[in-house]
Amino acid sequence: MLEPRLGHPNIGLGLGLRTVHYQHILRHEPKVDWFEIISENYMDTGGRPRYVLEQIAERYPIVMHGVSMSIGSTDPVNFDYLRKLKQLAKAVGALWVSDHICWTGVASLNAHDLLPLPYNEATLKHVIERVRIVQDVLERPLVLENPSSYVTFADSTMPESEFVNRLATETGCGLLLDVNNVYVSSVNHDFDPAEFIESVPHKNVVQFHLAGHTNLGTHCIDTHDGHVIDPVWELYRLAHRLTGGVSTLLEWDAKIPEFPVVHAEVLKAKQYINAETESTVDVVETEAPKPGFYEREADEATTTTVPHPAAYVVAEVE
Amino acid sequence: MSETPRDLVQLQQWMQAVIMHPDGVAGGIESSAAKSHIDISVDDIEQVITRSQALNSIERLEVYGNAYFARLVEVLRDEFPAVQHAIGEEAFNGFAFGYLQAYPSRSYTLADLSLNFSQYLRETRPPADADESGPDWIEFLIDLAVLERTYSEVFSGAGPEGGDHLKPGELQEIPPERWADATLVPTPCLRLMRFGFPVHEYATAVRKGKDPHPPDPQETNLVIGRRDFIVRRQAVFNVEFELLSAIAEGLALGDAIERVLERTDVEFETLAAEIGKWFKTWAAAQFFRAVEVSEPEGERGR
Repeated sequence: MLEPRLGHPNIGLGLGLRTVHYQHILRHEPKVDWFEIISENYMDTGGRPRYVLEQIAERYPIVMHGVSMSIGSTDPVNFDYLRKLKQLAKAVGALWVSDHICWTGVASLNAHDLLPLPYNEATLKHVIERVRIVQDVLERPLVLENPSSYVTFADSTMPESEFVNRLATETGCGLLLDVNNVYVSSVNHDFDPAEFIESVPHKNVVQFHLAGHTNLGTHCIDTHDGHVIDPVWELYRLAHRLTGGVSTLLEWDAKIPEFPVVHAEVLKAKQYINAETESTVDVVETEAPKPGFYEREADEATTTTVPHPAAYVVAEVE
Repeated sequence: MSETPRDLVQLQQWMQAVIMHPDGVAGGIESSAAKSHIDISVDDIEQVITRSQALNSIERLEVYGNAYFARLVEVLRDEFPAVQHAIGEEAFNGFAFGYLQAYPSRSYTLADLSLNFSQYLRETRPPADADESGPDWIEFLIDLAVLERTYSEVFSGAGPEGGDHLKPGELQEIPPERWADATLVPTPCLRLMRFGFPVHEYATAVRKGKDPHPPDPQETNLVIGRRDFIVRRQAVFNVEFELLSAIAEGLALGDAIERVLERTDVEFETLAAEIGKWFKTWAAAQFFRAVEVSEPEGERGR
């Protein structure tokens, strides 16, 4: 019988490790339960990021979250990438390794974006085969996240939630349920986010993601540049109740504020974990998006609102 | 919903061609590259991409198309602040846009995105005007791009931290009679670079938030390394640069000095007077990882 969270512990409330917070973390050792790293930013570096990571890994549990595995691509599996990923996981003692249900490029190119898949039997078979290969190489279950997406395909024959459900069930992979992504995609594709969360296999859910997004009125963009909005917190309450609680992580990747602000944001999860969970589940917003508390509308002066799944680390020069 | 789903290979090749197209997704859909995978026109796009209640199919695809260039141009702006300052944001964005078309990313990491940026600037530079007597400002831009890319590589590569570098005292331990046969092993981050402009001063000024003017041409020998995880650069005179270059190439100290004497007009006595001081500076700057002294003939095999 499948253990909850695939047997992984619930390690509490964590934060995405970002370079602007290095000094604060090393100096103050804040009471954060765990940190999640962007795997690709630490795989090939001998510089400060890797050095800081090794120090932080001595003090906090580390989880790895990648953006370039491209599990849904039709290009060959990149075994060199997997080898480096495995080495890093061993070096920092990563509790688990995650990436996204997406593709990032074909013909050897990388768009550095989390591109959506058509959800049908052929794609499912393709991704299942690749997840099994990756799990064999990594010698551990892969944990996969539902991405935010902005298009749907005429070739899809099943909802995303069914695809995710069958992928997890057939491969035994873990799920990183990104509650904000469920909300963003539900707005963009006109589905009920609560139904999505109710339908995923809850015992496979190893981790939650929370983040802010930008509401453009006609659609939402997963910008990770602000506070978590109330409807997403309500979805989190639902997800927490259905899974029995799993490790929860806040992502904040653009316009990153001081560390205490980010930390305070993830600690808000406590009130949803501890509060009575019955009363508000049914009022999850499913209508057309209305910018609410903390939700940002795109600045009119901003020509393009862009998600940044991967972060570039800028060199420090004397 | 189509009855028989399209092949995933075709669909991914098509979508990539569409969102990476420089004329936008509508231009991408009509391009021969996209049509070679899925032959549809803009009017028929809903056969591939469905619409939502709020957006049509083209508008939805544009989220990916707009983000592709915007995101990667932003990465290049972050990595090349001095190049951007020198030519202005609009011109920089134009170069970056062209670069991404000529050299799209083939790596899993954004750290490799700019690998060919300076080469692209060189390939696309207009021919030098023989009648033009002033400084070659395009060469200045290329030099800046080479420097800023080097900073990134030195920052993220292997470095001397953690004790993996030559200590000043280790050089003094070499017996005088073996000194000429000694070789110094550079740290992997050491870079010796010649530029036609003092680009390092310009790049530093930009990083400090100043508004420097392009400098006059001046041959500049830069030694770039890393200490305490911060990239350090220093300009050195030609003789020191030549000696460092010879040592970094693997020549024993005696041979390196001989080469410097051949290639420069420095006198032996002058060089000998400077060398001790330079070694101390190099050791403090952590340019070298180790010193190796080959065993004398008679002692080999013991």
